[in-house]
Amino acid sequence: MTQRAPTRKERRDQARAERVAREQEAARRAQFRRRLGILGGVVGLAIVAVVVAIALSSSGGSHKSSTTGQTTSLFAGIPEKGITLGKPNAPVTLEEYGDLQCPFCREYTLNALPTLVRDYVRTGKVKMVFHNLSFIGPDSVTAGRVAQAAGMQNKLWPFIDRFYANQGQENTGYVTRDFLDKVASQVPGLDKQKLFSDADSAASQTGLAAANASANTRGVKSTPRFFVSVNGKPAQELQPSSLTPGGFESQLNALLAKAT
Amino acid sequence: MTERRLRIAIAVASLLGLGIAAYLTYVHYAHTTVLCVAGGGGCEKVQNSDQSKLAGIPVAVLGLVGYAGIFGSALVRGEAARIGGALLALIGIGFSLYLTYAEIFLIHAICQWCVASCVVMAILAALTCARLLLPDEGAARAPSGSRGELGARVG
Repeated sequence: MTQRAPTRKERRDQARAERVAREQEAARRAQFRRRLGILGGVVGLAIVAVVVAIALSSSGGSHKSSTTGQTTSLFAGIPEKGITLGKPNAPVTLEEYGDLQCPFCREYTLNALPTLVRDYVRTGKVKMVFHNLSFIGPDSVTAGRVAQAAGMQNKLWPFIDRFYANQGQENTGYVTRDFLDKVASQVPGLDKQKLFSDADSAASQTGLAAANASANTRGVKSTPRFFVSVNGKPAQELQPSSLTPGGFESQLNALLAKAT
Repeated sequence: MTERRLRIAIAVASLLGLGIAAYLTYVHYAHTTVLCVAGGGGCEKVQNSDQSKLAGIPVAVLGLVGYAGIFGSALVRGEAARIGGALLALIGIGFSLYLTYAEIFLIHAICQWCVASCVVMAILAALTCARLLLPDEGAARAPSGSRGELGARVG
């Protein structure tokens, strides 16, 4: 059986179909190239944005570890007794519940505390109280007992400032005698022999227990937490908008306005 | 994969990323401890590092905004949504890779939440780029061999 030769119309239809297919393929490729071009543009824009973000991230570090000299000058001449910093008759009391292993407490101490001490404590407007909690782990207890002992020499505040500046990774056992010795060495006037002797005494344990009891009474379960009181009236919680000076200033100013 | 399926996949992955970023944002503002399954305090260290903020804004908040934007782009058809979604995901994966580098070489700690977010962002970058490379919606719907504009010209 011989195959019939395609008619002229069939040949014309076939040629047209092939041409349509070729043109559709060309159009598809052109469109894909166009879309690749768009993707290239998007990738370029993204690279520029990421480079800018990395530059900002590298230059905008918010944590500045204070130096020993800065700590010394920060607290120099400010009255200190036990766990309290500032003039006893300051109208506003700012209480902090902190754990020496807590990284957010470190953030507060390094970023907000220096400005607050300079503007509010040194000027006699505010006095600060540090309730040393020790719930994160054994290193918190070891550190807390030495901090309490520093308080017995009225050096708790510069001690905790230096501790936070040297803070290590939680519960890794970094709070050794050598580490504490190094921190204590950065606090001028601290008698280290007495410090470690007092840290081993029951008195330091009593100080930590008192802080824990106070925290339980107020329902403090995380750190840092802050409470304020005006002229000895019952304390109320202060919730800072951030752990920077600006996170505290407006609320402290409002309390001071109330106190006068 | 059709655009509809890609959009569903993008929406699901971005919701996962939103969950991670929302948790890290909550941890940042509530000042609570990050739940770190691996332990060792790596998450705390990363969350408290210099790299945890960009121009004063917590990276977790930026992640939240980015994932929300990508999720929004998945809900919308059209060229702008395709480009916007891919742009956000590519910026996200670029910055996530930098943060992973920072965790390993600068912070010396790994946060599993950040790693999880980086993986989700990598998936989103692949999905949004695939969506961007799909043929135009009009062309994709045209039946093959139809007598459209080309056929009319040939005939």
